[in-house]
Amino acid sequence: MGQVLALAVSAVLLAGFYASMAYGLGLIYGVLRVVNLAHGGMIMAAAYLSWVLFTRFSIDPYLAIPIVMVVFFFIGVAMYKGLVRFLPRGAAGGVQSLLLLFGVWLVIRNIAYLLFTGDDQAVRTSYSTASVRIFGNSYSLNRLLVFVISLVAVAVLQLWLSRTYTGKAVRAVTENSDSSTLVGIDVERVYALTFGVGTALAGLAGVLASTLFAFNPSFGSGELLKSFVIIVLGGLGSVVGIAVGALVLAFAEIFAIYVVPSYLTAAVGFVLLVVVLVVRPGGLFGSKVLR
Amino acid sequence: MVVVGCAPSQSSTDTSKDAGTVPDTIVIGSTLPLTGAESKTGGRYKQGYELAFDEVNTAGGLDVNGKKVKVELKLLDDTSDQAKAVNLAQRLITSDKVNAFLGTYSTSLVEAQSTVAEQNKIPYVNGGGAATSIYTKGYKWIFGTLAPVENLATNEMEWIDQQQKAGKLPKPAKVAIVWENTSHGKDFRKGIQDFAKKTGTYQVVVDESFALDGTDFSAVLNKVKAANADLFMVDAHLPDFITMHRQYLSSGMCNKIETYGARGTEADAKKALGQKGVDYILSAVWWNSQLGDKGLNKKFVDSFTAKFGTAPEWYQAVSYEAARSLFTAITNAKSVDKTKVRDALSSLSIDSILPGGKLSFPADKGGQASYPFVVQQNLPDGSSPIVYPADVATGKGTAPNPGCKG
Amino acid sequence: MTTATQSRRVRLPAWASKKVLVGFLVVFALLYSVPLVFPLGDYLHNIVGLTFMFMAAGLAWNWLGGYVGQISFGHAAMFGTGGFVSARLAVTFGLPFWATWLIGGVVAGLYALLWGHPTLRLRGPYFSIATIGVGEATRLVATYWTDFTGGSSGLSLPIGNGPTKFQLYWYGLYLLAAVVVLSYWLRKSRIGLALLAIKEDVEAASDVGVNPSFYQDLVLFLSGTVVGVCGGFYASYQAFIDPLDMFSFERSISFVLIGVIGGIGTILGPAMGAIVFIVIQEFLLANYPQLYLGLYGVLLIVVILFEPLGISGLIMWVGRRFGRRPSPSTAAGGLSSAASAPDRPTAPVGAGGQDEKQGPS
Repeated sequence: MGQVLALAVSAVLLAGFYASMAYGLGLIYGVLRVVNLAHGGMIMAAAYLSWVLFTRFSIDPYLAIPIVMVVFFFIGVAMYKGLVRFLPRGAAGGVQSLLLLFGVWLVIRNIAYLLFTGDDQAVRTSYSTASVRIFGNSYSLNRLLVFVISLVAVAVLQLWLSRTYTGKAVRAVTENSDSSTLVGIDVERVYALTFGVGTALAGLAGVLASTLFAFNPSFGSGELLKSFVIIVLGGLGSVVGIAVGALVLAFAEIFAIYVVPSYLTAAVGFVLLVVVLVVRPGGLFGSKVLR
Repeated sequence: MVVVGCAPSQSSTDTSKDAGTVPDTIVIGSTLPLTGAESKTGGRYKQGYELAFDEVNTAGGLDVNGKKVKVELKLLDDTSDQAKAVNLAQRLITSDKVNAFLGTYSTSLVEAQSTVAEQNKIPYVNGGGAATSIYTKGYKWIFGTLAPVENLATNEMEWIDQQQKAGKLPKPAKVAIVWENTSHGKDFRKGIQDFAKKTGTYQVVVDESFALDGTDFSAVLNKVKAANADLFMVDAHLPDFITMHRQYLSSGMCNKIETYGARGTEADAKKALGQKGVDYILSAVWWNSQLGDKGLNKKFVDSFTAKFGTAPEWYQAVSYEAARSLFTAITNAKSVDKTKVRDALSSLSIDSILPGGKLSFPADKGGQASYPFVVQQNLPDGSSPIVYPADVATGKGTAPNPGCKG
Repeated sequence: MTTATQSRRVRLPAWASKKVLVGFLVVFALLYSVPLVFPLGDYLHNIVGLTFMFMAAGLAWNWLGGYVGQISFGHAAMFGTGGFVSARLAVTFGLPFWATWLIGGVVAGLYALLWGHPTLRLRGPYFSIATIGVGEATRLVATYWTDFTGGSSGLSLPIGNGPTKFQLYWYGLYLLAAVVVLSYWLRKSRIGLALLAIKEDVEAASDVGVNPSFYQDLVLFLSGTVVGVCGGFYASYQAFIDPLDMFSFERSISFVLIGVIGGIGTILGPAMGAIVFIVIQEFLLANYPQLYLGLYGVLLIVVILFEPLGISGLIMWVGRRFGRRPSPSTAAGGLSSAASAPDRPTAPVGAGGQDEKQGPS
């Protein structure tokens, strides 16, 4: 029984990281209906930025989060204004956005190769292997910090969307962009803002990833694919849905070892993805119909 | 409609043109991952090749039947892509008509590329493919300077066995094998399983593989903890090693013997985990510069350091030996005739910098060199002495892990 | 569209045009005989043979991506299945290569039906995301299934068994020829019309009696089978395959790139895309290997933003500049549907245009 508890805590901590990965992707898809395949590349780029800030300027990664998020916000806005804006809206745009942003991802990866070579890098702070005790077992301090930050992010995002003017504007545009224009919301501005925030969230995920894993320019594809699983599982209804989707995925991956050999636990997420899409296209919480 | 029909056969392949004559320059073809994911390793292999070529050319050239011939390396970038490695090899062999081929890096690329060499009947020497599957296909033209990865596991187990015989480890000892699901990992696991079966004093309690680039190893680590393993033996790439070992350390785990295969002694590991994080980790590699205190090894280390400004690691050693063995074979064959060179490689036996001191490509191993790995252990003072084999050991290892309490 | 029939003449099916047939036969004869008359040199000869395979794979991918409008990011699942079934049959049972390719292809096609039938109900990006899941899950399972695929060690075909790389040029050509004929048939026949209807508006199509499920499944099966045969071809070509390479996400992406950069929905498109793909891989990259990712990325961005019909769109644009209008029959059969082309006034609807290998008719 103690083992199950230990694994459950691990799963919760992992879910924290997974959720942070998926917020950005979910927000952008939810509002713009754009599949941001460059998301994985953004996570990777942010990990590198965190690493550069740490190795060159001795800025602790957790303290670098605000810097990185601001930088990536502007990158996101620029990407929207420079590229994404020109995609058609609606169903046709979905597939095209996929391909366009995939192209962007390839370019980002290439830039990373040119700047940093393909070598693996890691961020090691003085507390990288420190541990903390929870319910009698020891866990990585970093994973706990990542979890806490992820919770804070959910709370802040939820507050932003429900309490602030811009947040409500974002939700209005998600519901109906035409009506939003009628009530005076600058839809284009909302889109740009959303893309910026979504990219900033990818930046957050990248910094968090840099404290946990080693990375190289190919980093991010696994994170991207898992983010899809999470959004599909959690549905697009809310930010909280994403957090729940992350929990489901993390638990599935970790506890799958009781059912399948540990190698195949990596496949669990993908099988879940396909099954959920086929059986409950609206996600486990059945929000919006897919169209 | 006739689906299976005919396709014209190749009219002539005049590969035997170079039978008698000795050319003015010997051109050796090769590909390496110079850019892309494995560019760091590819660059190191290039250094090994370059050192060997320079040595020959500064001595005036390679002696081929009395004539001194310059050697030239025609190296292309395969970016770690299998199809590219195959196509570029095809190009070098059939269009550029190189005299022989030095292989690329990483087992899957070598395995794919070697079929091209075999199909075209050209000598192929590589330092980049360690999987036994490359050499058990019955190919006649493929030679490798990397000892099988099974040896890595076996040699580590042999040192561990010495500790067990000296009473420092329990008998029987419980072994947990956690391996990445690649041919490298598979061979590592096989080495341990075979050794355990042979000696009977080791009990494999955990045998799990994992997919590359994992995000969380709690489940597997929990299994190891629950099984109360004495030996924790892992085979992993650097990123997985870092992720797994960080979780290992922060969950408070400690085993009497810890090893991550070939990982642990390199600078990147210490950078990512800190000295304390890598204390007492056992590792085994094909070659280490601590071997270089006399003779052929010293000469190699000195000339490498003089040329490149850094100390060589096993990558440069195996690639250097691959090139050097090819050159020696050509000299022995007194010709660049491919069949004669191939035969010379089959019967080759030269002094070598590799552990054991001799290099040959035994036919019963399909042309793969076989020699002991050097086993090292990280010590808290920052050194990583060689603890096995005894004749090249530079220090004594410690078992069980003093870092573990109780 | 029906050719004039006199009692002595051969009657062509309704969807074929005499001009196209003649053009096809001429090009085929040319490609068949050129290497015999002017030897290309081993390297180039083999590369062209491989290109034929990539063209065939791109065309097959395009049936799903262009004709049906569902972009698959998981076609490596079929490529790998076909390749490994084929290799396994050769290694364990010693079957002749063409049999292994065919069986491998059919197994791959059935596998495509297995995961595709339920997922094709999804539209747009959701289907694409599902295919990513399928591709990755297949890769992981295949790597684990050592008995079948050899696991991470892969499978080696015995040397000397089966066609040489030299001969594979012609087998690649036959494969490509068959796929081009199939492409043309799928597009011009009633099936093509049905697919066009489904792509435009699924509900309306079923209202007029077109069964979307049946047609999509048919195309998916054919697409999977052909890509599976290509996998078998690739296994014969390389003589060694391993699951990481055959089932990789990169492999799936290569089919997407060939189809999209070349031109979704056209026949010329994926053919051009394959040529670009191979040219970049073999030639440009020899000199600037560090730029290959970025180059694909930029091409993809440019294509999506400026010319969604890719290179073939570019060719059609050039053709229109020189006053070549597509003939009424081909224009009506065109598949640049509003659902896939951007909502811009300049996008020509129905200008299917040049879809044969040799240019405007």
